[in-house]
Amino acid sequence: MQKKISKLWKQGLNTEPEFNEQSNARVIDLKKQDISASYDQNLATFKSLFTVPDNSDVKVREFTITSLNRKGFIIYLSTMVGLQIIIESIVEPLIDDEHPSEKIPDIVSYPIASTNTNIGEITEFITAGNTALFVDGDKQCYLFETTQISGRSIEKSENEVIVKGAKEAFNERGIDNIALIRKKIKNENLLVETRTIAKRSRNNVFLVYQKDLVNEELLKTIKDKLDSFVVDSILDLSILEQYLEERPRSLFPTILYTERPDRAAAFIEEGHIILLMENSPACLILPATFWTMFHSPEDHYLRTPYGNFIRILRFLALFVAVFTSPIYIAITNFHVGMIPPDLLMAIAGTRERVPFPSIVEVLMMEIAFELIREAGLRVPSPIGPTIGIVGALILGQAAVQANIISPIVIIVIALSGLSSFIIADGSLNFAIRITRFLFIFSAGFIGIYGMMALLIAGLFYLLSLKSFGTPYFAPMTPHSFSSKDLIIRHVPMKERFRPGYLKPKDIVKQRKG
Amino acid sequence: MNQHPGKLGIREYVSIAILMVGAKATEDTPTMLYNKVQNAAWMIPLLSAGIFFIPLYLLIKTLSLYQGKDLFSVINKILGKYLGFIICLVIFIISSFGISASTRTYIDIIRAFYFTATPNVIIYAILIIISAYGAKKGLQHIGSVSYLIVFYVLVSLYIVFYLSMQHGKIQSIFPIWGPGTLEILKQGPQQLTLFAEFFIFAMIIPYFTSNKVFSKGTWIAYVYVSIQISAATFLFICMFDTSLGGIGYPFHTVIRFISLGEFIPNVEIIFFIIWIISAFIRFTAFLYINALMFGHIFKIKDFEYLIPSLATIYLLIGIIPESPLDAGLDFKTPITNLAGPTFAVISILLWMVALIKGEFKHAKNKNSM
Repeated sequence: MQKKISKLWKQGLNTEPEFNEQSNARVIDLKKQDISASYDQNLATFKSLFTVPDNSDVKVREFTITSLNRKGFIIYLSTMVGLQIIIESIVEPLIDDEHPSEKIPDIVSYPIASTNTNIGEITEFITAGNTALFVDGDKQCYLFETTQISGRSIEKSENEVIVKGAKEAFNERGIDNIALIRKKIKNENLLVETRTIAKRSRNNVFLVYQKDLVNEELLKTIKDKLDSFVVDSILDLSILEQYLEERPRSLFPTILYTERPDRAAAFIEEGHIILLMENSPACLILPATFWTMFHSPEDHYLRTPYGNFIRILRFLALFVAVFTSPIYIAITNFHVGMIPPDLLMAIAGTRERVPFPSIVEVLMMEIAFELIREAGLRVPSPIGPTIGIVGALILGQAAVQANIISPIVIIVIALSGLSSFIIADGSLNFAIRITRFLFIFSAGFIGIYGMMALLIAGLFYLLSLKSFGTPYFAPMTPHSFSSKDLIIRHVPMKERFRPGYLKPKDIVKQRKG
Repeated sequence: MNQHPGKLGIREYVSIAILMVGAKATEDTPTMLYNKVQNAAWMIPLLSAGIFFIPLYLLIKTLSLYQGKDLFSVINKILGKYLGFIICLVIFIISSFGISASTRTYIDIIRAFYFTATPNVIIYAILIIISAYGAKKGLQHIGSVSYLIVFYVLVSLYIVFYLSMQHGKIQSIFPIWGPGTLEILKQGPQQLTLFAEFFIFAMIIPYFTSNKVFSKGTWIAYVYVSIQISAATFLFICMFDTSLGGIGYPFHTVIRFISLGEFIPNVEIIFFIIWIISAFIRFTAFLYINALMFGHIFKIKDFEYLIPSLATIYLLIGIIPESPLDAGLDFKTPITNLAGPTFAVISILLWMVALIKGEFKHAKNKNSM
C-alpha cells in the first residue's frame, strides 16, 4: 500500500517530457541480417553503413585477388589500424600471389584472423580497428585484428607515489594494462573476461580475477550489475565506478580506484575482482573496505616495523586531519578550562585583536587552504610550487599581520591540511576533507559534545556501508577470518589467510610447512 | 569461518554488555550505594552480582530450552497468552521508565559539569536523536560500533583509575563493614537493578549466532562488569571518603580532580569524550531493545519504524522532572528499587513454571530420543 502511494506520488511529480527517438529501424534491421554472396551488394551495404565517402577515415580498397581470380575489397578505419601490416600481410599477398589456391587463409599471411557473417557484428569489429575482407561469391567475411592505437607508454605512477617497490602504472591502453597484471601473476587461472556495458559506443570492461579463488556469488553479483546498465556510453572507469556503487551520493567511497598494477595483482591474489577499461589509466578493485582504502602498498614493501610505523602515522594523520580544527574551536569556545593557564593567556593574547569568532577564523582559513590546494593542482606545473609558497606563506603571514586571523589558527590549519595529504587514496582523502567541515560546524554548535554526537552517527553510518555485500569495516567488525592486516600488520610469514569476508575458494595462502 | 549476515558475535555482545552495564560506575550509582552502606559500598556490586546470579542462571537455563527464541516469546509460551502479555508489558514499562530515568541522569551530568549554559532540551535532543539514528541502523551495527570503541573506553577508564589511585587513601575503606553486615546483606538484594540489563538482553537472543553466545557472553560480561563497578566504587571511596555521599557524580568529580603531570592540569574533556561515546552506545542499544519489546508486545513486525517516536516519548518523559534532584529522587529511585527485584522474580517464576509444567523433562526426553 505504502509503495503504491509513493509510486503514484512519484509519477505525479515526474515532469520529464517524453522524447521520441527518430526511427532507425531500417539500419537496425539491416544489422541483424547476414551478408550476401554478392560483391556489389556487400560493398553497397557497408558503404552506406559507414557513410563512405563522407566519413573520411573509413577506407575501402577494391582489388582483384589474383590467385582466385575473383573480386574483393577490404574495409578499415585508417586511424585505428597499423597500415604497414595491412599492406604487407593482407593486400600484397592477395594481389601478388599467383599460386592457384582455394582458401583465403592460405593466401593471407596475417596471423590473427576469424570469420563472421552477421552485418552488425562485422560492423562492431571494424569500429574496433579490425580489417574486414569480403570476397566475391563468399558468404562469409574475413576479419583481421589489425588494431593499432597510439597512446602513452607505461610510465611511473604519479598519484600514488611510493619509495620502495614497483614504480610502473597503468596507462590508457587496455592491452598494456592486462599485460602488466599478467606478468605479475603467471597462472592460467587468471581470467580476463570482456563485457560490453554501453550499447552505443560499445565500451568494454575487462573483468580480471583468479578463477580458482574468486567467490562465484560475488562474481555473479558484479556481472549482473555490469549487465544491468542501459546507457549509451560509459567512457571512463571513474564514471563506471559511480554507476557501480551502491550509494553514489555517499561521502565515503566503497570501491578502490588505483593506478598501480602491483596493487591490483595483490588484490587479485586475495580473491578480489578487478575491473579495467580501455582508455582509463587505472583499475577498480571490488569489493573494497575501509582498510583497503586506508592501506598503502608500501606498508607491505617496507620491513614490518617500518611498515607499521607509517601505518600508525597514517592513522594519526587521519585523526589530526579530521579533528584538529574542530577541537581548536571546541576548546577555545566551550572548554576553556582544559588549556593550561599559560597557554590560555598566550592564545587569548593573540586573539585579542582579531575581530572574528574563532569558528569564522577557522572556516576562512580552511577554505583558503582548500583554494590554494585546488589552485596548486590546476596551475601549469612550472608555476605550481610558486603558487603553493605564495599561497601558504604570504597569505598566512599577511592575514596574521592584518589581524584577520590569529597565528595559532595557521598552525592548526597547516597541521590538519598537511595531515590530510597522508591519506593516499583520492576518494578517502576527499571524504576526510569534507567530514572535517561537518565536524567544524558541529564543534561550533555545541563543542566536544556535538563532535562526539557526529562521530557516533558517522560511525553508525560507516558501518552500514557495504561494498558488494562486504561490510565497510570487515574483517574487524563484523568479525571474519583473515590474516589480521588492519591497523598494524604482521610479518609476511604470518599472513597466511585470504580475507574471509570474500569467501574465497581457498582461504589459506600459505600452508604451514 | 561461518558467517551469519546480520547476526551478533560474542565480541560484539560482550562489548555492548560492558558498555551498557559497566557505564553505571560512571554515573550516580556509587554515590547511591555509598548513601546506603557507607564505606562498604564497594561490596554491594559483588554481593548483588552473587544474588542475581541465581535468577540469571535459571533464566538462561530456561531459555536454553527454546533455542533461538527471545525472552518475550518464551514468557508467552510458558505463562500463556494473557499472563504473558501482562508480564511483558510490565517489563516494557519498567525498562521504558528506566531509559528515561537514566538518560535524564546523563543529561544532568553533562549539564552540571560541561555545558552549564546550554538548555536541557538541546542536550537531551542531541542524545536522543543520535541514539534513535543508531538504533534504526540495527543491532548488528550497534554491536560493531561498541566493539570498535570498547577498547578505548576501557583503557581510558583504567587510566582514570590509575591516576585517581595516586590521590586516594586506602585507609578510607575502614570501617570495612560500613554500617554492619546485616545492613549490607539487606541492601544486597535491593540493588539488583545494577544487573537488570542482563535480563533485558535476553530479548536479543534471536540476533545471536547461537544460544551459546548469549550464555557465554553474559557470564563473561557479568563477572567483568561486577568487578568493574565494585573497583570503581572502591576507588571513589578511597578518594573521597565520607564526602562521597555529597558528591553527585563521583566519576566526573574525579576526572576534574586528576591531572596528567603538572603541565596539563585539566584532562576532563579527554575522558568526557570517551564517556559520552559510551553513553551514546548505551542508549542506542537500550532504545533498540525497547523498540524490539514494543514491537513484540503489539505484534509490529517493522518495529524499526517505531524507534523515532518511542525515542521522542522517552525524551518527553525524561524532561518532566524539574531539577536533577527531582530526577534522582522521585524518578529514578522507584525504578531502581523496582526493576531488579521484579526481573529476578520473573526469572525465577519462569523457571518454576517451566519446571512444574515438565518442560525440562520434555527437553531431556527429546534429547535422549
